[in-house]
Amino acid sequence: MPDVLVQYQTEIWRSIGETFIMVGVSIIAAILVGLPLGTWLYLSRKGQLLENRAVFSVLNLIVNIVRSFPFLLLVVFLIPFTRLIIGTAIGTAAATVPLAIIAIAHYSRLVEQSLLDVPRGVVEAAVSMGASIKDVIFKFLYVEARSGLVLGLTTSIISFISYSTIMGVVGGGGIGDFAIRYGYQQFKTELMMYMILIMLVFVQMIQFTGTTVARLIDKR
Amino acid sequence: MITLTNVRKQFGPDTAVRDVSLHIDRGDIYGIIGASGAGKSTLLRLMNLLEMPDAGTVEIDGATLTSLSRRQLREKRHVIGMIFQQFNLVANKTVYDNVVAPLKLAGRPKATHEARVLECLHFVGLETFKDKYPAQLSGGQKQRVAIARALANEPHVLLCDEPTSSLDPNTTAEILGVLKSINERLGVTIVIVTHEMDVIRQVCDRVTVMADGAVYETLDLVPGGVPAIDNNPAWFVDQLKKAGETDA
Repeated sequence: MPDVLVQYQTEIWRSIGETFIMVGVSIIAAILVGLPLGTWLYLSRKGQLLENRAVFSVLNLIVNIVRSFPFLLLVVFLIPFTRLIIGTAIGTAAATVPLAIIAIAHYSRLVEQSLLDVPRGVVEAAVSMGASIKDVIFKFLYVEARSGLVLGLTTSIISFISYSTIMGVVGGGGIGDFAIRYGYQQFKTELMMYMILIMLVFVQMIQFTGTTVARLIDKR
Repeated sequence: MITLTNVRKQFGPDTAVRDVSLHIDRGDIYGIIGASGAGKSTLLRLMNLLEMPDAGTVEIDGATLTSLSRRQLREKRHVIGMIFQQFNLVANKTVYDNVVAPLKLAGRPKATHEARVLECLHFVGLETFKDKYPAQLSGGQKQRVAIARALANEPHVLLCDEPTSSLDPNTTAEILGVLKSINERLGVTIVIVTHEMDVIRQVCDRVTVMADGAVYETLDLVPGGVPAIDNNPAWFVDQLKKAGETDA
């Protein structure tokens, strides 16, 4: 192993751990909140089962606003909110708050788009069979849109990794922050390159896994 | 069996169905025909309230659908089967899982599912296809799976929205044969919306002609049976044999 990696291995492992925490929380937020939010966006659209112009407009606006913020500004803008729920605006735990919020907005949009790809007729057939809204969502929409939902989550996770790299501004740590502070600011270009390589491997693995799973579950 | 009274449906400024009243008797194969935009598909969708009428009442099988609660309506829909021009199968579910779906929705005991699914698939001649996905089937086979799915909960009524309009003539004849035998053997009342004259002539006992959202005329017919439409002699023979089976 190159000397520079041996020398910094404690810090490297710690930053990988921080990245995992930040991305992990983002993924959980995306699934637990982004998936229902995206489903609601879809269902409240014109012509859909829970059509409601007011609900759709409000949800749509919120998602757009969050997504149109340059992420760095969103982090800064959310500092009072972060302090309110975590107790501090500094550190890895605090960094998960803006990440979770962008994750929800990001994935909900991709969920909405995947659901829009489900043929209307499938929903119509489900309703004609006496399916409730819950049945339509879980037994028809998610089944038919599942490969799109997986691909969307894959794309989202890769974005979350990218977002997590700038969390150094609030002391969030992570591989990106480590690469900047040790590699770039201390002119250890070699170390920075290794960090980029680590991220590249992660992204490749995630994309490969996502694409493979999506292909295997797609029977359309 | 089905009674519509003064039903009206607007889509924005357009009136799709204007104050239509009609009655469909139990055991009929009832046709609704008309040009594109005449409102026939909307009329069919009003029968199971896929479209909510803006005015009027819909009665099926002794129940006034328009005055039921959401839950009661869902329960009633379990015994109103429906098939579509585009089949509308769930492409990510196997044939078996597509057909078992309505049984699960209706909360039928799990132990009865397999036997009922196989019975329905047997009826449409596709029991050996149970583990296939819709993408592996032809159009006619997909429609037969859709029919099996619609039959699963032993419906009293089967609503058919352009059931043969995306199928070739041979397959059309095959699907009409299946519908006819559902009517004869299971006593299911069938409503068929179509723009194809032949479909009406071959299987319907009664037909309503629609124009501009209203009933133009309703008349009784003597169904002519499903004839050969192909000029390939082997196909004639095939059809004659098939017709023999359906009658038996």
